[in-house]
Amino acid sequence: MNYFPDEVLEHVFDFLTSHRDRNAVSLVCKSWFKVEKWSRHRVFVGNCYAISPERLIARFPRVRALTLKGKPHFADFNLVPHDWGGFVYPWIEAMAKSNIGLEELRLKRMVVSNEGLELLARSFVNFKSLVLISCEGFTTDGLAAVAANCRFLRELDLQENEVEDRKGQWLSCFPDSCTSLVSLNFACLKGEVNLTALERLVARCPNLKSLRLNRAVPLDALQRILMLAPQLEDLGTGSYVHDPDTETYNKLISTFQKCRSIRSMSGFLEVSPLCLPAIYPICSNLTSLNLSYAPGIHGDELIKLIHHCRKLQRLWILDCIGDKGLGVVASTCKELQELRVFPSDPFGVGNAAVTEKGLVAISFGCPKLHSLLYFCQQVTNAALITVAKNCPNFTRFRLCILDATKADPVTMQPLDEGFGAIVQSCKDLRRLSLSGLLTDRVFLYIGMYAEQLEMLSIAFAGDSDKGMLYVLNGCKKLRKLEIRDSPFGNEALLTDVGKYETMRSLWMSSCEVTLGGCKVLAEKMPRINVEIINEYDQMEFGFDDRQKVDKMFLYRTLVGPRKDAPHFVWTL
Amino acid sequence: MGGGAATPHSSSSSSSSSSSSSSSIDSISNNHPSLSSASSSISLPRNTKRSGLSTDLRLGPSISTAHIHNCSSSAPSPRDQRVDWPPIKPLLRSTLTGKADNQRQATNLFVKVYMEGISIGRKLDLFAHSGYDGLVTTLSHMFKTTIFCSDPHVGGADHSGNYHILTYEDKEGDWMMVGDVPWEMFLTTVKRLKITRADRC
Repeated sequence: MNYFPDEVLEHVFDFLTSHRDRNAVSLVCKSWFKVEKWSRHRVFVGNCYAISPERLIARFPRVRALTLKGKPHFADFNLVPHDWGGFVYPWIEAMAKSNIGLEELRLKRMVVSNEGLELLARSFVNFKSLVLISCEGFTTDGLAAVAANCRFLRELDLQENEVEDRKGQWLSCFPDSCTSLVSLNFACLKGEVNLTALERLVARCPNLKSLRLNRAVPLDALQRILMLAPQLEDLGTGSYVHDPDTETYNKLISTFQKCRSIRSMSGFLEVSPLCLPAIYPICSNLTSLNLSYAPGIHGDELIKLIHHCRKLQRLWILDCIGDKGLGVVASTCKELQELRVFPSDPFGVGNAAVTEKGLVAISFGCPKLHSLLYFCQQVTNAALITVAKNCPNFTRFRLCILDATKADPVTMQPLDEGFGAIVQSCKDLRRLSLSGLLTDRVFLYIGMYAEQLEMLSIAFAGDSDKGMLYVLNGCKKLRKLEIRDSPFGNEALLTDVGKYETMRSLWMSSCEVTLGGCKVLAEKMPRINVEIINEYDQMEFGFDDRQKVDKMFLYRTLVGPRKDAPHFVWTL
Repeated sequence: MGGGAATPHSSSSSSSSSSSSSSSIDSISNNHPSLSSASSSISLPRNTKRSGLSTDLRLGPSISTAHIHNCSSSAPSPRDQRVDWPPIKPLLRSTLTGKADNQRQATNLFVKVYMEGISIGRKLDLFAHSGYDGLVTTLSHMFKTTIFCSDPHVGGADHSGNYHILTYEDKEGDWMMVGDVPWEMFLTTVKRLKITRADRC
């Protein structure tokens, strides 16, 4: 067994890219553990409170690329108070102190401060890649520090963050010597940018492949930038507004014709629909199109555009495309693998929305579809059964009916059978979100059939504790369970407490669990943090065990209760 | 756009639209621990079942000290202006509702209108019209004449003699005939209007 020198083992382990494989390898024997430990460069931490920075560094001293996730998923929907936690500063500080050669940092739903960004920029000489997704807490001053100090920066990718824009000159802070950028995404920033600095930056970065602009970059600047970077593969336009009857627009048309490498487009944050034809030549090469932030493109124009996109694999779109438009997608985009349809009118009465008809059309037309997020007016069991039959390959299936407890409008029945068909047919289903009128029955089906399910989101569903128990007992691979406004209580919570150590986390809000139930759980499971989040009634914490808990978030951890919890979070 | 109208599914939702549009940008400087700044200063009865709608004051007869749990009556339906449903990210929510808000709360765009030969002008709110058709109709009534613009589908029947052409001054100071560019684009460049005699054009 020990005939192989460590270098050979390490070389073999290099071929293992999945974290799970490397974790498994560490368990084989002590020498494999040691070799793997010292050669692990990429580490994924799904819950930043499951482990501490110090222990991470001790376990993987050669970490170069770190992914951290903070707040629970429901924080995306305003269910978690802003100060709940997920601070990245302690991680940056610990790695700086231990001279970790950090090169890549990828954060999701974390609180990032300017001080953290400044420390990051100063401490890691070889830092190459910063990806922030749904983060908050920093301003463009922090970005300026990264731009100014990270001499070999390749990637600065800001996705849907809440950034206070100081309207400063952060783009100008990239020194003239910075020529290494491969990816720059600042679409979520709201303020002005120095267009000259941007154009000069693009001009001196010949390896730039991905560029996503914000609203402040007008169309004429886009044209000049594209002339400087015809090698772009991924483009996010800023403001796409112009009079089509001008020389600028004509220049743009010919510029787009030169950009033969663009495979992915997004943006159109403001749009003059008459200018859309300029991108038709690019559409025929597109594999990915994200128009979910483009409410200015109406259904008819969307349909015209889609006609040109025969190679699309990923499409994110607003529901103003309508069922008819989805029919066009179904007949045009035969390579489609991922579809997301967002609600263009979140509070509307449903003039511009899609129904099950669009989804059924897609299921007939797009056999390769495996990932779906679909906001719609209504859905029928029959439609879901048809979709299940046509698309047995779903790995992610998220359906959100805008009227959260709406029944099948034709039969007036709950949607149990429809979702049941989905889980029964899609044997590789890993992620599922339910909505509509649902009883315990759908959970029986999920427990029975969803063997690969890792993440389940439940809202306004179920009748009794049995529902949740079906899921906890049946889904052996379940890692994340998030439930809101459903009648699951202490019995469901406490029947199998050992289950929670096999999962990353459980969120329950506006359910039936009581303070007493949570206390029992916390006492039985010392390696689970049970957090009660109580924004109101803070004075009356803990006086009555029969009191229902508004929000509970529990997660397994190796480091006990966290020390940075705000006053409204109580770890039992 | 649906206002906070009471529906059978929820008691009156008093969440103001400001809470949804302020959620993403202003929250950085918002020191309040709770996102729903509207209701966090109100102490709710301890045992009230809250539906997860953080700004729902539930000002109906259903408030009592008993445990209230009635999921289906608090489930969101269309027209509820909630910040936690439908489940979309804050940035998308503010983008979409921002556009809706802009349409609802569109400010006025009053421009001066002069008719050639008449020294006293009028003022007209362009935002009160949805297109050239409405604009020409209004002006025709205002100035009691037949008005044409360059859009052939707009304008009255051909009267011999007394008719006028509608022109406008754009941001660059040039006088152009109304009707050549799309209405939305026209609104962004128009500074004022002039109704000129047809024989001048």
